[in-house]
Amino acid sequence: MGAGMTRFMRRAQETGKELAWEASRAALESCELTLDAVDAVCLTSAPDAFDGVHMKGEYLSDGAGAFGRPFIRTYVGGGSGVFTAIQGWYTVASGMADVVLVVAEEKMSSTQPHPQAAFLTIFDNVLERPLGPNLLWIFALEMNRYMSAYGLDKRDIAAVAVKNKRNAADHPAALLGRSDITVEDVLASETLAWPVQRLDVSPVSDGAVALVLASEEAAERITDRPVWIQGVGWNLDTAYWTNRDLVFPEYVRNAARAAYAMAGVTEPRKQIHIAEPYDPFDYKELHHLEGLMLFDPGTAPEAARDGVLNRDGDLPSCPSGGLLGVGNPIAAAGLMKVAELFWQLRGEAGARQVPGSPERGVAQAWGDLMQVGTVVVLGNEGGPPTTATRLPDSPTPPASTPGHPLTEAEFRGATGAVEDAVDARYAWDAGVAISRFLGGLREGRILGRECRGCERVLVPPRMFCERCFRGTDAWVEVEPTGVVQTFSICHVSWDMKPLETPEIPAVIAIDGSSGGFLHVLGEVDPQEVRVGMAVEAVWKPVAERTGSILDIAYFRPVRGGAP
Amino acid sequence: MIERIARPDEVRRWPGSIPVSHRYTPGVAGQAFLETLRDRGVILGSRCDRCRYTYVPARLFCERCFAELAADVEVGPAGVLRSFAIGFVGVEGEPLESPLTLGLVQLDGADACLLHLVLDHSDEPLEIGRRVEVVVKPAGERTGSILDIEGFRPVEG
Repeated sequence: MGAGMTRFMRRAQETGKELAWEASRAALESCELTLDAVDAVCLTSAPDAFDGVHMKGEYLSDGAGAFGRPFIRTYVGGGSGVFTAIQGWYTVASGMADVVLVVAEEKMSSTQPHPQAAFLTIFDNVLERPLGPNLLWIFALEMNRYMSAYGLDKRDIAAVAVKNKRNAADHPAALLGRSDITVEDVLASETLAWPVQRLDVSPVSDGAVALVLASEEAAERITDRPVWIQGVGWNLDTAYWTNRDLVFPEYVRNAARAAYAMAGVTEPRKQIHIAEPYDPFDYKELHHLEGLMLFDPGTAPEAARDGVLNRDGDLPSCPSGGLLGVGNPIAAAGLMKVAELFWQLRGEAGARQVPGSPERGVAQAWGDLMQVGTVVVLGNEGGPPTTATRLPDSPTPPASTPGHPLTEAEFRGATGAVEDAVDARYAWDAGVAISRFLGGLREGRILGRECRGCERVLVPPRMFCERCFRGTDAWVEVEPTGVVQTFSICHVSWDMKPLETPEIPAVIAIDGSSGGFLHVLGEVDPQEVRVGMAVEAVWKPVAERTGSILDIAYFRPVRGGAP
Repeated sequence: MIERIARPDEVRRWPGSIPVSHRYTPGVAGQAFLETLRDRGVILGSRCDRCRYTYVPARLFCERCFAELAADVEVGPAGVLRSFAIGFVGVEGEPLESPLTLGLVQLDGADACLLHLVLDHSDEPLEIGRRVEVVVKPAGERTGSILDIEGFRPVEG
């Protein structure tokens, strides 16, 4: 029925709940409703650690209009924004509510020294954090895997960053719109974690977005020009991210299949006119377009290069400007994509309007530990046969974009600002399987667990198989050798400080197993590392081993092994 | 299914933390509230005429009807103690040298209650319904913080 958003800002003067209210009010005003009309509220916001506010949903609830109403907050990482629209949909579809306010808010600027700190614990506390990972590792490792598998040219991927920042120049809420940016600018930007460079990445931001959803009956009362949610889907892959081939987002395809089936979409490439895939990094947009079955695996980059994804191209992708251009207040960024489809399908996107009156679009987000896909299909057709006269396509006034950005100096000097650190410390148990695995490392052995259900040897080992959902059967020793599945050359620490010596994180597929794990490479020139390179564990001296993932000092190329 | 742990020494616990701290700026309404407290030593609330409710501290919007509000109502400095509690231990469970009394006070002209310390009541037992007033630090010592208010002090009346 309606949509609204704040500006996306590096630092907002508004508190989180003030941002939520600004967006919610704009959404209600856009369809001439007041809060009285709202039956239920669905909210999302990313980890509590960003704000240091435990039960952040409760904190934000008044700004989302939840006073005296059924209210729920959900969270699936980066996938949250699109998921909240799905949740709003089933809150209506279940008959629970006729009118639902869907709100997504994020305020990342409170987190010091850098919001990345809040992400560190998404890595396994026992097996991965001792290696000193940062969030960029995951993206760099996935990007390299994607590029290596298809022999992709970084220039074609950089074209996505260029397109989105140019598109965002037409968005009144955008943080990083730039109409004059070129591929050369992206390729010349600072290398953070090769192959990821500064301009491949979306900016941390503050902001909020809201939508108003309604049942078919309520929609007839509220507007003559509804946009319909035609299909929804979401899907999860294994949380053992080093056990997956990162080259293709299977979970996005699964989610898209569900959403397309509900929407009656059988030929997505023909029936989807406009796409808002999730683009926290430029390669992710391409990866996701392939997961959405809009391009064959490995072919989206050439489409970006050839302009197919441009606003006036054959399949406009991220006409909003996406996360790369508008900004990435995590949960809010996902819902912004759904809002953009709403505006595009109503012909209200102003300077961003895709030509040719698009009739159906798909929005998608991705998150958790890079294994959840959330997909919504929106279209102009749906609902009961309408007898109302459709209004002519006269755009309603452009959405207001409230929000007051603070400069760094204003942020540091703000009256009444409070510094705080949550003084919580943890002791993480290694658990049954990993304790045994670590005991093996102390003895210089890599242990896995055999699952006779799916005939896999699981490394890292677990006492149950997440696919078969049965207890695993036996311990097996595997080789202390493997193959580099993907790698990165990382130049920054978790708090974005430059490293004197670059690190080479890699996912090692362990020989004799169906899996592998994250570690670092050593005794090798970074320029010589290749995907597919055979490597072996270099153990610490026995006396220095403690039963830790660091008992393997690093992996190095097998001498005389395959290049 | 789950194996017995034959060598308990192999079970290790990994100490750690989430290395974040936060910087909170007070927002649009919060800034108006704190700057007025600093500059004039008074408490500002926000009135929603439609809902007939006055919020304290000031707010940017009414959570009941979503109307935009201004920080435009001076409340207090006196009010009514609606509830109180006396803390004898700190956050780690350690005994406090002198107990702290917390009060929820509905300042005159406000509907919402303000939380702060209750001062100077040791010579008489507190009662809910007692009249109290806000004690504000001297002008030169105020910085634009909720601690510019020292607390509430019982008054006659």
